[in-house]
Amino acid sequence: MTVPFSYNIRNLVVRKTTTVMTAFGIALSVAILVASLALVNGLRTVFANTSNPLQLLVLRKGGNSELGSTVSIEDFAIVRSKAGIAVDRSGQPLTSQELVNVVNLPSLDNPKGMNVTVRGLSPVGIEMRKVRLVAGRWFQPGQREVVVGKAMAHRYPSARIAHRIRFGKGDWEIVGVMDGGQSALNSEMWGDFNQISADYNQQDSSSSVLIRATDPVSLDALKHSIEDDPRLNASTMTESDYYQSQTASGAPLEFLGIFVAVIMAIGSGFATTNIMYAAVARRGKEIGTLKALGFSEGSILLSFLSESVLLAALGGVLGCLIALPLNWVTTGVGSMVSFSEIAFRFHVGIAALSSGLIFAVVLGAAGGALPARAAAKKEILIALREA
Amino acid sequence: MASYLPLILRNILRNRRRTGFTVASVAVSICLVGVLFALTRALFFGGETTPGQAKRVVVHHKIALTQDLPVGYEQTIQKIPGVRAVTSLRWFGGSYKDPGDPKNRFAQFAIEPKTLFEVYPEFHIRQSERDTFVSQKAACVASRALAEKLGWKPGERITLVGGMLRATLELTLAGIFDPPPSDTSSVLYFNRDYLRDSLLPGDPRRDMVQQFYVEADNKDAVSEINHQIDDTFAESPYPTKSEPEEAFMLSFVSFLGNLKLFLAAICGAVTFTLLLITTNMLSMSVRERTREVGILKTLGFSDGEILGMVVGEATLIAVAGGLVGSILAGGLCTAIASAMRSAPGFVSVVPGLSLSPLVAALTVCLALLIGFVSSIAPGVYAARTSIVETLQYNG
Amino acid sequence: MDIVIETRKLSKDYMRDENPVAALKDVDLQVACGEFLALMGPSGSGKSTLLHLIAAMDRASNGEVLVLGQDLRALNNRQLARWRNAHIGFVFQAFNLIPVLTALENVMLPLKLTGLDAKEQLEHATTALELVGLRDRLHHFPRQLSGGQEQRVAIARAIVTDPDFILADEPTGNLDAASANDVLTLLAALNNGYGKTILMVTHDPHAAHYAKSTRYLEKGVLLPEGQAPQDWMANSTSAPLPSRWVALSETRPGPQ
Repeated sequence: MTVPFSYNIRNLVVRKTTTVMTAFGIALSVAILVASLALVNGLRTVFANTSNPLQLLVLRKGGNSELGSTVSIEDFAIVRSKAGIAVDRSGQPLTSQELVNVVNLPSLDNPKGMNVTVRGLSPVGIEMRKVRLVAGRWFQPGQREVVVGKAMAHRYPSARIAHRIRFGKGDWEIVGVMDGGQSALNSEMWGDFNQISADYNQQDSSSSVLIRATDPVSLDALKHSIEDDPRLNASTMTESDYYQSQTASGAPLEFLGIFVAVIMAIGSGFATTNIMYAAVARRGKEIGTLKALGFSEGSILLSFLSESVLLAALGGVLGCLIALPLNWVTTGVGSMVSFSEIAFRFHVGIAALSSGLIFAVVLGAAGGALPARAAAKKEILIALREA
Repeated sequence: MASYLPLILRNILRNRRRTGFTVASVAVSICLVGVLFALTRALFFGGETTPGQAKRVVVHHKIALTQDLPVGYEQTIQKIPGVRAVTSLRWFGGSYKDPGDPKNRFAQFAIEPKTLFEVYPEFHIRQSERDTFVSQKAACVASRALAEKLGWKPGERITLVGGMLRATLELTLAGIFDPPPSDTSSVLYFNRDYLRDSLLPGDPRRDMVQQFYVEADNKDAVSEINHQIDDTFAESPYPTKSEPEEAFMLSFVSFLGNLKLFLAAICGAVTFTLLLITTNMLSMSVRERTREVGILKTLGFSDGEILGMVVGEATLIAVAGGLVGSILAGGLCTAIASAMRSAPGFVSVVPGLSLSPLVAALTVCLALLIGFVSSIAPGVYAARTSIVETLQYNG
Repeated sequence: MDIVIETRKLSKDYMRDENPVAALKDVDLQVACGEFLALMGPSGSGKSTLLHLIAAMDRASNGEVLVLGQDLRALNNRQLARWRNAHIGFVFQAFNLIPVLTALENVMLPLKLTGLDAKEQLEHATTALELVGLRDRLHHFPRQLSGGQEQRVAIARAIVTDPDFILADEPTGNLDAASANDVLTLLAALNNGYGKTILMVTHDPHAAHYAKSTRYLEKGVLLPEGQAPQDWMANSTSAPLPSRWVALSETRPGPQ
């Protein structure tokens, strides 16, 4: 049997200024931890939403990025003729050859300029993705026209309909805005494949080819058939793997965040230790009385430890509340694969919140351990004599 | 106030465990602030710029790094007053052996061997190796870090299969160069003429490069050279953007995300937490001494003197924490810098992280300020409480 | 008659400034069941030390204590804690109520260690508080009670587990005369009406009058039954010290 929990709660309430201040200190380190986890979560969501599990990306042999890859027209023809590729309503195989490059544009976060992916594709490429036009119209073949993603339109002042952006060999007019949901496509800019390859002097090749398999079994077969084809010098990645690997772009920020949160927590842990030592000192006579009433060392240890954990958990909850509004914040990080910026929204999910709470509880337990032990080990006679 | 120092010290030492934990708590947070300050300085204020770096300019396509510039720009740039040397660079991005193994990924640049070491005087290489590199078309040189990582010795045969550029290069390692210690990147340089000859005759990229590195006569000429280059090519089909090498390196930092905001938010949070912690500790010890404050007052100490003692106590504790913290920060910076050395990608762009005396002084000052600010509320409480109240107070 | 507490040749030495001081010398004491014994003696006579040894809060230098026939030295800390909960009720000079708990919660506290369920705990605690006359103060916090009421809550807490005996250490030391009478009457009633064995340490002869018998300690030695130290008795005929202080303070000129 243990000392009632209300004893700890009331004691925290009695010294409310101290409690709130200590909890607040813990809250800030929890908030930073939750924010870091939410950042990576948001990034993961974006990349997960970008891919279709049945789609395969064909790159040059050993390639791991569209930007550094090239697939020739001949190779495209071979890939296109493979069995197991899904077809659209008109019977055309769902294969899209795409040219990818980057353009440096000033953004809200980086007025000095940030890279944006420009993707040249044909209508089948659009059909293969979950995007819809939210403003304007699609680009016309043979025209220097582009459609920008919704996130890009928000973050880049120059990405507005009717504005012109210079890249390749001329000025490109923005004719529409597309929405690909919470996906990386929202950070891209799309134009006509032929026009873009002409502007980049790459008429005979594309960066990558996207194909859709009819079912998971043919996806696997296609993968092997392409990689083992001696005529092709190509490797494949499922679209999911390709985008998943880009989640690592958030790693430096995540690392920094966790590093900071842990160091802050050590500082807050020391503060908690101090607060709990003071509590033990102030309540010496109470500890003696509890012992005289028959409470064992274990119950007293547990009581003070739970008070410290409760204090930290309060900070944890507070920290989660502080981090929660991040759910409505959009930011961007550079992907090391696409060499361009991906916009995403923080995602403060259950996992991030519970990690924050567990973090706080561990902090409380660690910070309260020594004082709780001191309380339990107090000699009953000495404790009773304390003021 | 100096005459009260013994009393202040006595108060600080009265509860050594508490003082210890408070100092530790301040030290840990100040250490964090110190590291963040050092990081901010390294990322946004260029850290330590080497004299060589200060004289260098990077020229690339205005639209994107990945777009090409004609190799002929080299002659035009060479003629601009203040330019000592120019070298060009093209990213090859080929694969070596099994590209699935991250160990086999490294930067490969096609350059002009004669001018490379002129523009980069801080790259040290044996003269004999340098001569081989210049004279043999299929020769290449590797940075010490790369050669050690892959166990290469001069004479090693290296095959690179092109990606964007359709060419297979059969290279021979001519030598290994040593960059300055802070630069630990894995880089391979090879002759641009060899690449040119390996590309198909009709390939428009045969005579295109991606960047020019320009060495100025002195660092004061850099900004004028930047303008001159960009103005010269502004109206051509291939407009350029020239920037000091340092600024160019920093532009990669934006890839990490909105770091400035992130760092500012964290520094704010840490400082605020510190204020909370010190105020809390101080309030606690002042409250416990309420009776004594009353006694001091009956003995004739003025409210101002009592306030001064509390402020002095807080400041001393905070400065002690600040000193310990900045020593910790110095160590942590060195540790992070050496850990970063092996880190992949843009993280290795982070130049040598170190706690400069200025940053150390700044963090200690911050600690002092925090000590001072946090003592105000408890100090005023102690000064304001009437004697009767304080003497009636039971711990 | 059953013997509740028995000490045999009990001695306690402790060090004060590197000099050994004998707090108790060969004390042989027997407390029978149903007894209300007052243990008297001036400050430093060793009466509190004896109480602490009986409760196994302290270790004797020599001799043994048998409580309910058991030698408590054989128990470990945890067993000892449980044993106290089951067999002893404590009443302290400074009441020692937990300030953040209400009267009822304070009284329920020792019941947390028993097998009683929540409802039974509540019933027992309420009954105990009713017994000490505080039926209408169940939900008051200690600071909302007078000193006498606080001590009565403490007594309720001491009896709520129905212990074999009550140890009271200067229970009236912090109380005014009227409250002291209330508390002592209550203890006497518990002894008379409910047969509770009580061992009370006090230095106030008035308090000792409520007990059935009184034993005296002088410089660590327990005087034989019926014998009291001469000078102590002489002193006790005059007014007790605290009221002299009161008289002193009343003769002082007031602020006006």
